[in-house]
Amino acid sequence: MKDALPLRAPAINIPSPGDTSFPACTRLSNGVPVYLIGNGPEGLIRIEFVFNAGQRTESVHLASAATNAMLTEGTYLHDAATINNLIDMTGALFSPNADKDSAGLVTVTLTRKLDEVMSLAEEVLFHPSFPEREFRMMKDKRMQAFLIGRQRTAVRAREEFYRALCGDETPYGRVTCAEDYASLSVLHLHDFHSAHYMPRNMYITVAGRNPEQVLPLLERHFSGEGSGPWSKPVITAPLFSSASPGVIHCEVKDSVQSTVRMGWKGITRDHPDYLGLQVATMLLGGYFGSRLMRKIREEKGYTYGIHAVAGAFHSIGYIAIMTDVANAWREETVMEIRKEITHLQRDLVSDDELQVVRNHTMGEIARLFDGPFSVADAIKGIVDYDAGLDYYTRFAETVNNITPGKIKELFNTYFNQEEAYIIIAGTA
Amino acid sequence: MIRFERHTLENGLRVIAHRDEGTPMVTTNILYDVGARDEDPGSTGLAHLFEHLMFGGTREVPLFDFPVMMAGGENNAFTNNDFTNYYITLPVNNLETALWLEADRMTGLDLSEERIMTQKSVVTEEYRQRYLNQPYGDLLLLLRPLAYKVHPYRWPAIGIDISHIGKADTISAGKFYRKFYNASNAILSVAGNVAPDEVFRLAEKWFGDKPRAPRRRRRLPVEPDQNKRRQIVAERRVPSAQLIMAWHTDGRNSRDFIVLDMLTDILSGCESARFPNLLVREKEVFSEADIYLSGETDPGLVIFSGKLRNGIDIRKAEEAVEEELFRLSAVPVTDAELEKARNRYESLRLISHLSASNKAFNLALHELLGDAEGINRERERYMSVTAGEMAVTAARTFLPSNCSIIHYIPKEQ
Repeated sequence: MKDALPLRAPAINIPSPGDTSFPACTRLSNGVPVYLIGNGPEGLIRIEFVFNAGQRTESVHLASAATNAMLTEGTYLHDAATINNLIDMTGALFSPNADKDSAGLVTVTLTRKLDEVMSLAEEVLFHPSFPEREFRMMKDKRMQAFLIGRQRTAVRAREEFYRALCGDETPYGRVTCAEDYASLSVLHLHDFHSAHYMPRNMYITVAGRNPEQVLPLLERHFSGEGSGPWSKPVITAPLFSSASPGVIHCEVKDSVQSTVRMGWKGITRDHPDYLGLQVATMLLGGYFGSRLMRKIREEKGYTYGIHAVAGAFHSIGYIAIMTDVANAWREETVMEIRKEITHLQRDLVSDDELQVVRNHTMGEIARLFDGPFSVADAIKGIVDYDAGLDYYTRFAETVNNITPGKIKELFNTYFNQEEAYIIIAGTA
Repeated sequence: MIRFERHTLENGLRVIAHRDEGTPMVTTNILYDVGARDEDPGSTGLAHLFEHLMFGGTREVPLFDFPVMMAGGENNAFTNNDFTNYYITLPVNNLETALWLEADRMTGLDLSEERIMTQKSVVTEEYRQRYLNQPYGDLLLLLRPLAYKVHPYRWPAIGIDISHIGKADTISAGKFYRKFYNASNAILSVAGNVAPDEVFRLAEKWFGDKPRAPRRRRRLPVEPDQNKRRQIVAERRVPSAQLIMAWHTDGRNSRDFIVLDMLTDILSGCESARFPNLLVREKEVFSEADIYLSGETDPGLVIFSGKLRNGIDIRKAEEAVEEELFRLSAVPVTDAELEKARNRYESLRLISHLSASNKAFNLALHELLGDAEGINRERERYMSVTAGEMAVTAARTFLPSNCSIIHYIPKEQ
């Protein structure tokens, strides 16, 4: 490897991913899993509450996101203004968040305020009152943001891709329309909340110095039996109905750029090729020196950036390449992406290029484990998808052992040009 | 408290070393004291274009990213009106690779016609992506020339007009490079598990032979006091109106900056702050209402930005903001509000200290502002702000004659 670098260059040490183990789970008396992630600076601690209450679990569209957004908008003990004031007095940051496969709350607090903050967290998570006035304001605000999203080419292309891949009737593929906001009521929120926000349906991560100190507080506030003892979520796969592959144009009036999103149906985390596919997409468009960045940005100058990812929800995986380009260049961009994929399907990558991807990925893994707050972020993706606490150890092994032959095989198996969805969002 | 040591090389390169034993990575942050404010009004956007060119390779390292990735690193950069900042974060045992790369591109850049052509195109797409292809994307592009008439803050880092970038060539780029990219115009800050003496030794090894250039003195035109309210109306294809109001204030090192930083936090820093509470929840004038400092080194702006609820008259919205600001002198900030702001400050400060790369950047920034030690004095400066001080500064700042306003409204379809 040293041969590739000039004489004066310092020798490079092969990056090691470092310790990639996650802490084992401890449990509250009702069985709620808690992951204690130690170290970090004095005085600050992060506690995250994660519920199996993502978009996948809703029967009324928007119920998951709206319920989550309303958690801090009033409880049976305090109105919206008061609860927010109580939270803000502690200096803590409360960030409710709802995603496709989970929803919950992140709290970051000064350790000295832990007592108050945990009691407030219990209050907003388990006793929200969903007042009508705040509900109407939340809907208006989200409606406004929704209308702004209609004008964003990147947002439109993403929606159309998931619609094509998963089907309109599934929670992953459903595209929101204005009527969805109009028909949503607080009753839907009450229903969604009582079905999903309870101890038996959650887990907790604690990140910071001496995370054990939080356990008695968690026991006090989150060990209630609720509707029964904790149980592992049972995932039932929705009935996916994929569109036929090909070009889908999505009109976004007056846009000066178009978003090009090219994608495929992928694989889920339990598939033996999942980790290898991560390496393949990294090589294609996962870092600054990747094939697509070099070709489309650094050689052609068509775009500010182009990226490729392989990911998965529950029961369905996806591969996507996305970029924003001048309207005039979108056809050339698709052609260049196709060419690059053809190269990777036909020729073996060089050992040098594969080594760059290996080393870069090892650095990425090491950064994921750099500090307790990052580890807390990483463990969420693992627990939500039951990917195994040894996920990154296995990933590092795959990165080390993958061969140019395997990479070529992956491109031939998963990047079939005839099966690609090509979404173009922009002015016709 | 962030412990660090400082050392200046013969050639004027300032080096800061902070030892963080809690991370396996190290960050090298190199800040060049050149930003959009140093550009010629006839060729703006050059500092930012140059940032792109810095990744274009040298005679010794044709592909900048190759060794960074080989070493397990990640790197990026940004340009603003005040400075240009580059960083590399990689495993600590590869620290020397980062120093070698930064030293190499400080003087060895390959400024070919072809490289410049491509990056001009990339920057044009960046301009379109960030400012033109986003609803409300051009708001801040409109604000600068309205609020500033003389000072170079009147143009954004991307440039007055994207056509300026089109004029850049190997000659102008080369001139810019020689003028601004040298040891005495840079601050190198390293944070990770490395002893400061080792950092200084390696800095000497890689940067010690760089020529000494005279330290530049910046002479920028001073923005005269604004004595008349300014206002423009922009009609765009957006779903709802947005109101921008901006007042001139003092520079980053001033007492007013700290006082207004605390005050704007009390006004809009959290859900229960005055603006979200009164203008959003109670009066239902805005759906979002935020006030913040532009944060620049030279005298900058306090900027109010609010998205209007549908059906609200924008002049009425403007009055509602003015009324809240006026009320600051009548109803001073309470003890509870002050305590809230202090606790929040404390949390945010600890969060910003979590990452070594963030500390490396902040140390370099404080050194640019005059003294890296400022990072440790800041807490005391914030905690000492009083309600009385806030009332006085508010009364002095939020004058109608000192205000620039944009009514950004939906175009009739």
